[in-house]
Amino acid sequence: MPQGFPYLAAAYLVVWLGLLLYLGFLALRMRAVRTELEAVTELVREQQRGERE
Amino acid sequence: MALANKETSAAGALEDAGAAPQPSRSRPPIVSLILCALTVVGIALALWMAFFYAPTDAIEGQPQRIFYVHVPMAWLGMLSFVVMALAGVLYLWRRTERWDWVARAAAETGMVCISLALITGSLWGRTTWGTWWTWDARLTTTLILWFVYVGYLMLRSYMGRTPASARAGAVMSIICVIDVPIIYESVNWWRTLHPTAEVGTPGALPFSVVLTLLVSLTAFTLLYAVMMIQAYQLQRTQTLAQRLRADLE
Amino acid sequence: MSLLTQTWTILWKDIRCELRSKQMWAGMGLFALLVLVIFNFAFDLRVDNQAAVAPGALWVAFVFASFLGLGRTIAAEREHGSFDRLLLCPVDRKAIYLAKLLGNVLFIGVVEIVALPVFAMLFNVPFSAAGLIPIVILGTLGIASVGTLFSAMAATTRARELLLPILVFPLIVPIVIAAVRATGSLLIVTTNEPPWLGLIAAFDAIFLSLSTVLFEHVIEE
Repeated sequence: MPQGFPYLAAAYLVVWLGLLLYLGFLALRMRAVRTELEAVTELVREQQRGERE
Repeated sequence: MALANKETSAAGALEDAGAAPQPSRSRPPIVSLILCALTVVGIALALWMAFFYAPTDAIEGQPQRIFYVHVPMAWLGMLSFVVMALAGVLYLWRRTERWDWVARAAAETGMVCISLALITGSLWGRTTWGTWWTWDARLTTTLILWFVYVGYLMLRSYMGRTPASARAGAVMSIICVIDVPIIYESVNWWRTLHPTAEVGTPGALPFSVVLTLLVSLTAFTLLYAVMMIQAYQLQRTQTLAQRLRADLE
Repeated sequence: MSLLTQTWTILWKDIRCELRSKQMWAGMGLFALLVLVIFNFAFDLRVDNQAAVAPGALWVAFVFASFLGLGRTIAAEREHGSFDRLLLCPVDRKAIYLAKLLGNVLFIGVVEIVALPVFAMLFNVPFSAAGLIPIVILGTLGIASVGTLFSAMAATTRARELLLPILVFPLIVPIVIAAVRATGSLLIVTTNEPPWLGLIAAFDAIFLSLSTVLFEHVIEE
């Protein structure tokens, strides 16, 4: 069916959009958790410094 | 492929051992970069082949090319499911966290792939059979697999990042991985009584089609490895952050 | 104490507990009947249609009623802490699973026994009780085997009544298919039917053994 082309385009679009969005979603969460990790590490270091004094 | 999934950089290995985590990496992850490069090349090749090398189907026409993304997505959805179950078994046996991280990463990635498999399968069915959905064994089992993924993610989300949660997830994925073939077979039996339209390319496939499919499968599996590594790293970092925060309090 | 003795002890305790509180029984029974009544309105049940729809209606009612009953012992016990006390005893975890499983089967079974005659009346469907009993027993056993395991998992979460069906429904699809078709073939004799009862039996064997072994991983602390 030559009229099937929109479906073909939709399928490929959905797949690539979906995969890229997921990778982006992973990257976003990774950035968020890395920021949190840095913040918490800082707090831990401060706490350790405070305990030493 | 198995090695690439579980591999971390040297700094990561230190963190696994429990040392203080370093927020920045000093060495670029070589294996990851090579993997990404290979993936990009593979995907480009697969796309070119899907549109320019593979022949146009005599019956279905252009939309048949959906085949070259649908099958890899379905394959990855099932592969991820098996990875999840294996990681579950290994977790119950070894009780090391990293297997649970693999399981959670596989659950997320698999969920994405199976959703895309469902959507592309539905679109393909629409072009060949005129219906958005058909209760054939393959699509039905894919739908059930989708529900299992959702259930697993919900369970893990509700139970949090605890060893109890990891054990529950492992048990669930083991039960499910054994059940899915049974589900497939029972739907097949049921279908023989209600023959419905089947999503798929009937008959023997010409060589160019098979080759394109194999290239697609390989390229997407490489992409899967890339996604798994990213998802795994995310799980690991999230657990470490949570643990550090808990130590604070 | 042997495994069988332990199982029976726990089961008997649960039965006595259950006999004291009668709410769940009444609730589940009414619910099953209501589902059957609603099916009557949902589907156009002229005489020629009834035999086709009746098995489905029956098993939908059973499955939904099962979910009401599945969570009850383990969830309630975990809430009140008596489950932890049970775990402190040196009792084989398999015995706990088997006891909970049999308790659930009995519980759901009672509701099914009540629902069946009413079902036969409402749908005006003659069924051979002898043929139906193995289907109902094996089917309920299968649903309960997976359901008991998952109810232990979901018991510690907040949305357990919602989570349990979401987790278990997909897994019991083979049982639902097979039970409905097997029940249907009792009413309308057909040829070349796949061995549905055999499928349920195989399902039960596999998942009973699997769940018994895996149960302890779910409840250990």
